[in-house]
Amino acid sequence: MAETKEKSLSDEKPKPRVRPIVRLGIFLISHSFHVSVVCCTAGVLALFLLPVLAKNTYISENALMPGSASPMLSNQHVSDGNRLVKDLTNPNSKSSETGIESHKIIAQYMLDLGAEVSFHKFHPQMNQFHPLHFFSSPDSGKIQENYSCSSYGINTVGIIRAPRGDGKEAIVLVTPYNALKSGFGEALSLGIAYSVFSLLTQVTWLAKDIIWLVADSQYGEYAAVAAWLREYQTPKFSSLSAPNAEMCPDVNNLFELKGHSISGSKFSNSFRRAGTMAAALVLKVRDQNEQFEDTISIYAEASNGQMPNLDLINVVNYLAVHRQGLRVNVEKLWSLLNSSWLKSLGEIFESLAKVAKSLYPKWKFGIPATEYVEGTATLASSLYYQALGVPTGPHGAFRDYQVDAITLEISPKFSLDKVWRNDILLRGGRLIEGVIRSVNNLLEKFHQSFFLYLLTSPSKFVSVGVYMIAFALLIAPLPMVAASLYVDANSSSKRSKGDSSTPSAITDTDEHSIAIRSWRWLNSAKLVFIVHLWGAIVSLLPYFISQIPDCSPTTSFMIWVLLSILSLLTLNSVLASPLACAKATQEKEWALVKSVTISSVFIGLGLMSVINFATAEIGALLMVPMCLLAQPLKLDVRAGTLRSFCRMICNLVLGHIAFPPAAFFLLKGMLDGFGNANVGDFWMWVESLWAWNSATYLFIGMVQLPCWVLCISILFHTC
Amino acid sequence: MACNTRNKYPAQVFNNENHRLNLYGDNVEVDYRGYEVTVENFLRVLTGRHETAVPRSKRLLSDEGSHILLYMTGHGGDEFLKFQDSEELQSHDLADAVKQMKEKHRFKELLIMVDTCQAATLFNQLQSPGVLAIGSSMKGENSYSHHLDSDVGVSVVDRFTYYTLAFFERLNIYDNASLSSLFSSYNPSLLMSTAYYRKDLYKRRLEEVPVTNFFGSVMETIHTDAAYKALSRRNSGRFEDEMSLDQSVHHIERRMLIKVNDGYEIHDINPEGEEGASKCPWSTFRNKFQKAENVDSLVNYGLVAMIPLLVISTWLVQ
Repeated sequence: MAETKEKSLSDEKPKPRVRPIVRLGIFLISHSFHVSVVCCTAGVLALFLLPVLAKNTYISENALMPGSASPMLSNQHVSDGNRLVKDLTNPNSKSSETGIESHKIIAQYMLDLGAEVSFHKFHPQMNQFHPLHFFSSPDSGKIQENYSCSSYGINTVGIIRAPRGDGKEAIVLVTPYNALKSGFGEALSLGIAYSVFSLLTQVTWLAKDIIWLVADSQYGEYAAVAAWLREYQTPKFSSLSAPNAEMCPDVNNLFELKGHSISGSKFSNSFRRAGTMAAALVLKVRDQNEQFEDTISIYAEASNGQMPNLDLINVVNYLAVHRQGLRVNVEKLWSLLNSSWLKSLGEIFESLAKVAKSLYPKWKFGIPATEYVEGTATLASSLYYQALGVPTGPHGAFRDYQVDAITLEISPKFSLDKVWRNDILLRGGRLIEGVIRSVNNLLEKFHQSFFLYLLTSPSKFVSVGVYMIAFALLIAPLPMVAASLYVDANSSSKRSKGDSSTPSAITDTDEHSIAIRSWRWLNSAKLVFIVHLWGAIVSLLPYFISQIPDCSPTTSFMIWVLLSILSLLTLNSVLASPLACAKATQEKEWALVKSVTISSVFIGLGLMSVINFATAEIGALLMVPMCLLAQPLKLDVRAGTLRSFCRMICNLVLGHIAFPPAAFFLLKGMLDGFGNANVGDFWMWVESLWAWNSATYLFIGMVQLPCWVLCISILFHTC
Repeated sequence: MACNTRNKYPAQVFNNENHRLNLYGDNVEVDYRGYEVTVENFLRVLTGRHETAVPRSKRLLSDEGSHILLYMTGHGGDEFLKFQDSEELQSHDLADAVKQMKEKHRFKELLIMVDTCQAATLFNQLQSPGVLAIGSSMKGENSYSHHLDSDVGVSVVDRFTYYTLAFFERLNIYDNASLSSLFSSYNPSLLMSTAYYRKDLYKRRLEEVPVTNFFGSVMETIHTDAAYKALSRRNSGRFEDEMSLDQSVHHIERRMLIKVNDGYEIHDINPEGEEGASKCPWSTFRNKFQKAENVDSLVNYGLVAMIPLLVISTWLVQ
């Protein structure tokens, strides 16, 4: 193999000593099989070790000082909040069909506190797939379609100016509110926000302005927040949409009424702004709750796996646990909690840690098995939501403008008496107050703590430096195997030729043929390129399919599959035909194809790990074994040994699993049960991916799908 | 800083939770604040190398007869003191600046007081004669804040600073306390660290040096016969009247506030939030606000608590 080649080279002319790094490279390449087995196993193992390696979170930014000031929110503020809750849940306020009454009430309450108030009306924007809008910042120019007056939302915005501040910075508090069918929870969240707001109008220590956004969630929470943010960050100077909305009588009516009843106050028709946003909190209260404790759930994932600064989560976690006695939750994959294999894995790690500790008392890395299972479930959901690339709440809209934001969902243990309501208002309000006071202390942006991390519990995290190891181990064998395959294919064909030719050997023609042979990989590269081109075409197809009116998800999916196959055949016949005639001369062609495929996968995974680590990690788990194992089935059948049989089985299984739709259904089945799987689901899932500009979509279309096709073509290679 | 918007009590600074003593009097001057507080500016002030446009009020106008007190606090470590988030003053820098001052006859005696973690290490490189240095903690030790004022939301004072102030509060204006009595007043169990002083460069015996050599004192003003004879006599009279140790410095020509921002360290939050708790980072975490922070950081309470003690240059004998 490589060694023999090395040997033959050194026979030809005595060479100076090879440098150690080159030798190491040659050693690794020649032992690529063992190296790849060791690396892949270590990579998977390292992934499962992550919950054990997780560190406790700590507040990195000195200035935050959460909880060092005693809360100032008093019962007076709570009763203010209660008053608003009562007014909003009062059936009279719901009489209006558009819910304008509720907005008026909220605005009136804000005005009474002395805050600046304005209404922001917006037309909900449908997220539409456009191939050119990936990774582009949301722009204000998109709004040009003509809207009907019936569909618009009204955000109510209240701003408190910091009395001695410079007005350059602001903290945003968002409460989604659907005036048409608001539950008690939404009213309660408004009550909490209002009690904090009323406190903040009185305090002397504000250094940042406070913006309270009551987001009209009748078209979705995200859409309302995103619309407001777009207006806030990218002002329109020659806007067509503004007069559009003004023409609607309802809206005008709203403003007239306001202007009439509260003339001379701080109400304003125009869009109000404060400074740049330091942080944003989205506050929700859940209506129903099965839990026996007051808990608070933190949602942090924004688009493409971006996370807010860990310090923000730390502050909330610290205040909720140590000051307000709330239980803090982050998302978990519940199905993993009961899995027995995970539990036994945790027990193995635990006992290993015990052994290690008995050997050397300073080694303390073990965690209890139950904690391990919970950590893994949290880590898995953290990976999953980051990999999906779809924000888990309205906070995702802020991340698009580099504002750190999280969603807090309070789920109180439910009861209807007044004491309970006051208690939740007080504790929720004090939590928000504490977080705002802490962020208010911040001098610059959040920059001290981590942006790249995975959570294993609200107070434990795995930082980028640790989780990259698992990924790096997983993809490390790829270049080695690619190199070894390339060397192998070249040398074997050379050997076979050398055997057939006369021993007089090295002639001019032979050198010429060596030169030609060493460029043979270009043929394979062409094939790989064609398949990737096809992948790009497949990724673009949904744009055209979505233009077809009245198409059910299932039919859309079918059209997509058909068109994809058709385009693959066309491309193959048009561009790849020269390959067919060249094939006869190349025995080990599949090895070269595999080599180039692996290289391209390596590049794809490497690029993706920069954009969205979680996607790359999950992709690597699927694709690396498939790429490494792929070998023509014919060869395995011919060999007939147990080993080749095993490989064949693995290949077939992986070939099924790694197909993106199959992987999707498998995952969905594992999470929700296989009962209600539907072909159209995949289409809807893909639709949601591009609607959120998720890079995962591009990854699937342009890396994973081509890789799968290439591997399948290797499996069925006629050699 | 007293005027920071985050201060719940605008333009007031307290040394204690009981808010009885407002340290931010009418006559406090702050010459460098916020982002002006850099290592470069600090060294410029010490060595007197300013741009020509820098006003006299922002310079240290001292000569070979001056007694200078340099009081620094913030986030320190082994042979460094953090300034802002981005830079630090190393013990070599300090020693070099002091040496330059000596060469340029900018002081006769210099007392350096440092209240940081591992404060003693900051003096390691000093070589110039006439320098006396005291730090709040030895190498490997942390300095702690005295207590958390949960009303203001910061720890307003450090232990070392607190007990220094307490020492002076105990004196009356006629006391003739010596530096050694000040130095011996630090109780390691109260400070939770060992105050360390280095006197090998200082030739006089500490028992003989009154604290008023560096801290606000009754001054003997020598005035020349001039047109303003009457006025100057009246002034000197007023000096004597108003002289008191806790309000020490208002008669002095130059006052400087050296603010140091601490900062960048990663540390655990102590969930209990007990005062003087376990770790240095924790204490600096609180101290950060109380000492020099950024331009307007409320947190400079501790610093301002030291204002009376802060760098003073006195013209003793002309």
